[in-house]
Amino acid sequence: MALAISLMSGLLFLCALAWPADYKGRARQYYAWFLFLQGVSLGLFLTLDLLVFYVFFDLSLVGMYFLIGRWGHGDAEYAALKFFIYTLAGSLAILLAILGLVLANDTLTFDMRELIAAQPLQGVDVRSSLVLLGFLVGFAIKTPLVPFHTWLPLAHVEAPGPASAILAGVLLKMGTYGIVRIPFSMMRETFAAYALPLAIVALMSILWGAIVALGQTNLKRRIAYTSVNHMGYTVLGIAAAGAAIGGDAARTLALNGAITEMVAHGLITGALFLMAGSFWQRTGTYELSAYGGLARVAPKLMIGFFLAAFASFGLPALAGFVAEFQIFAGTFAIYPWLAAIGLIGILITAALFLSMLQKIFFGDLVDQRQGFADLNRTEVGFLALLLVLVVLIGIYPGWLLTMIETGSAFLPLQGTEG
Amino acid sequence: MLFLVALLPVLAALGIPLAFRLAGSADRRLLLAIAMAGLGLTLLLALLAAAGGWTGIIVWSGPLRLTAVLTPIAGAMAMLVPVIALPILAYAAFHEDEIGLGRLVAILLLFVAGMELLLIADDLLTLLIGWELVGVCSYLLIAHEWRHADNAASGLYAFLMTRFGDLGLFAAAMAAYAATGSFSYDSLSDVSGPLAFVVAFGLLLSAVSKSGQIPFSPWLFRAMAGPTSVSALLHAATMVAAGAYILIRLEPFLTTVPGVPETIVAIGLATALLGGLVATLQNHAKKLLAASTSAHYGLMFVAVGSGYPGIAFLHLVAHAAFKAVLFLAAGIAGERAGSYGQHLMGFARALPLVAVMTAIGALSLAGLPPLGGAWTKEAIVTAAEHGSLWVAAGVILAGALSAAYATRFQLSAFGLIERQEQEASKAKPGRAETGAVVALALLTLATSLVWVPSVREALGRALEIEPHRGEPCHTCPVDRRRRFGCPDWHSLGPPLSGDRSYGTVFGDGGLARPAGPDRADRHPPRDTLGSGSRGGGRSGDRCRRPADRR
Repeated sequence: MALAISLMSGLLFLCALAWPADYKGRARQYYAWFLFLQGVSLGLFLTLDLLVFYVFFDLSLVGMYFLIGRWGHGDAEYAALKFFIYTLAGSLAILLAILGLVLANDTLTFDMRELIAAQPLQGVDVRSSLVLLGFLVGFAIKTPLVPFHTWLPLAHVEAPGPASAILAGVLLKMGTYGIVRIPFSMMRETFAAYALPLAIVALMSILWGAIVALGQTNLKRRIAYTSVNHMGYTVLGIAAAGAAIGGDAARTLALNGAITEMVAHGLITGALFLMAGSFWQRTGTYELSAYGGLARVAPKLMIGFFLAAFASFGLPALAGFVAEFQIFAGTFAIYPWLAAIGLIGILITAALFLSMLQKIFFGDLVDQRQGFADLNRTEVGFLALLLVLVVLIGIYPGWLLTMIETGSAFLPLQGTEG
Repeated sequence: MLFLVALLPVLAALGIPLAFRLAGSADRRLLLAIAMAGLGLTLLLALLAAAGGWTGIIVWSGPLRLTAVLTPIAGAMAMLVPVIALPILAYAAFHEDEIGLGRLVAILLLFVAGMELLLIADDLLTLLIGWELVGVCSYLLIAHEWRHADNAASGLYAFLMTRFGDLGLFAAAMAAYAATGSFSYDSLSDVSGPLAFVVAFGLLLSAVSKSGQIPFSPWLFRAMAGPTSVSALLHAATMVAAGAYILIRLEPFLTTVPGVPETIVAIGLATALLGGLVATLQNHAKKLLAASTSAHYGLMFVAVGSGYPGIAFLHLVAHAAFKAVLFLAAGIAGERAGSYGQHLMGFARALPLVAVMTAIGALSLAGLPPLGGAWTKEAIVTAAEHGSLWVAAGVILAGALSAAYATRFQLSAFGLIERQEQEASKAKPGRAETGAVVALALLTLATSLVWVPSVREALGRALEIEPHRGEPCHTCPVDRRRRFGCPDWHSLGPPLSGDRSYGTVFGDGGLARPAGPDRADRHPPRDTLGSGSRGGGRSGDRCRRPADRR
């Protein structure tokens, strides 16, 4: 799991770094912060130590804060501050929860493997419930789940395109990755007890994210809210996998689906935000009403955007479908109603993406977009890299699923009573 | 191996931009060549696959595996699709506007690929992939002329309507997995209890939306925003056919779930009647045909719901042939008249050859013997009669309506009086367009062969909707009985009693015969379904349950 997500992150960082952006005359600092953020993010996914995990988790906030605040546009500093305070509050909750978890253990250790083996907190007494709550709230803010999502659209809209791509593609994954890595693995009994409420929150995120996204008139806000929706799918899969009911096979399927969704969402939404950045670079606006008929002048951008959007709303033969199908199939065996209601999300995301695409690309060309430039060679190259992977995962995901399964074999799916 | 059948059109589609780049220009002839080569090879592969019994499997991981197999009906469908698509694409390559023509043909090829994938699918996952690919291609095709925002809106409307139905397929796949831990069709028979309802009604929902049945019919009309060739392909052998096909394919499972066959019949009949009514009142030539499409798929639903998937399939074939002719002809007439209003047409003198070819299609649509559409429609009446006399009466009424609007279409679009007053374009169809219409009309004529008993027998054998003459019921392979009912000629419908000739359109007094087995007998023992009370003296050696012999 960690390997798959790290590979995805590394690739996305590469593309985001290479993507043309507005450096505001401070190119050196821009790249420095970007590389800093990359190091921190990869460290977070690869570490096996809780304390290091926490440190990287916090440092990632710092990196993103500066990227948004300095190179963002509009009300960037406010957005960066809101992002920072929200997620810092989340990480404080996580810090307390980590301490609670570690102190409950007999020997003082931050080694994740030992903690997973020891399962220091069990049952649903006040202490373990509070610790679990701390983890879940902290990660839910980062993920973000409804009702902790309000920082996300703002941060996305004001951030430069490549930073948005990283925010959505990599930083959001820290939340879901954290859930799988810590409460899901280290407190499985407690997690199982609270899996249903978590799944319900995830369902709310799916629906709320999709419906609110449909109402947005701003290109980036719309994509941002679909992230809430997609992270909802992921958490739904994780919650179903952690529930102590249902067969092992279904739960494995749900978990694999959730992890595939992390990878797929990173690639797809990363690509979408990078392209959104290109829109800003060319016109300086994200308002959908300012666009129309772009298919005439920017066919390459259209193809890329269509492909990414199709993948995002779960069209088969593209990566999103593989993930969502597994999540839904696995979850249905455990929480049939939640999965069935969640399906509506698939329909709404299709509507919101296609109506957005039609507004931007179809119809008559808007006058002030006459000289709109198509994607240049760099952009096409790196976009193709991401989208080829999306198609590859969609058509033949065997290799990715094997990688995920090997990685998650240690996860305690078999441990809980089926 | 079998996946090649679906892969080939994709390769051909990808070849189009490549060929344009190499040739340096977009040339209609080049386009035609690629499309023909792609579809021809697909047809050839489908033939080879059906003859060689190819299968295919791609394992993703664990229960996620794509499997493909050709049942006889799937094999026939897999061949039918390229056969119908060939003339339609040839027509498209010469009829449609130059702008974006390469894109149009490429997406049409992808569309065929998606259709082939859902035909060869042997599990719900593969089915879902093909199903959704067809849906999204239909969106791109309907929105083909994207410069008009209306077309894109119509595409979105059609796509969302059908995708709503796709959720049913999602639900069915999820429920099947929850019940059996597998997505394969074979395991469906192990699903029971409430989950079986979810699977069956989920499948039904997706079939209803794809086939433009009530309440999803409106998308068929909105789909008319696409170019004519798109409408023709959409309505003849792909997309809309997918809904009926999946009911035919999974009929053995669907009929085991209480309430499902009745629902299928009810939806089908309601659509057949209302669709017929709308078509009779419709003046827009393409929308008339669209309404007629949903009505005819309604008839197929009635046949499936009554327990005669074989008949539904034959009607699907007959319908595919004549509907393709009519759409292409409507496109030619519409181009000449500059609009699809039928009051502006009347081109019998101007386009005599097309008019005659259209007449063949219209007569088959009307159900005039000896054309294929007549036989299949009549067979559906008899099939419906096994369920209830009222259903049969409804089907007869629907048949009468189709005769009425077929006549109206023919007489107004290709009538003798040219009604157009102002001087409009005198567009004449090119050779490829006329050729496509003629080819499809010949295909329609070929469906008439179903009237010949020996052909019918051969067909029944090839499609495995054939009885084992003289075999007592208990020796019939169980799975075959489950799949096609107790093997009896009745699987293929009434006219197969062979020695009788059918003079009238609606069968020789089919109404006078006693109705089929009681509804109580219809399930769960699936066997009684196929062995209706038809067939007179040949019953002794046939698989017949005592219950039917009352």
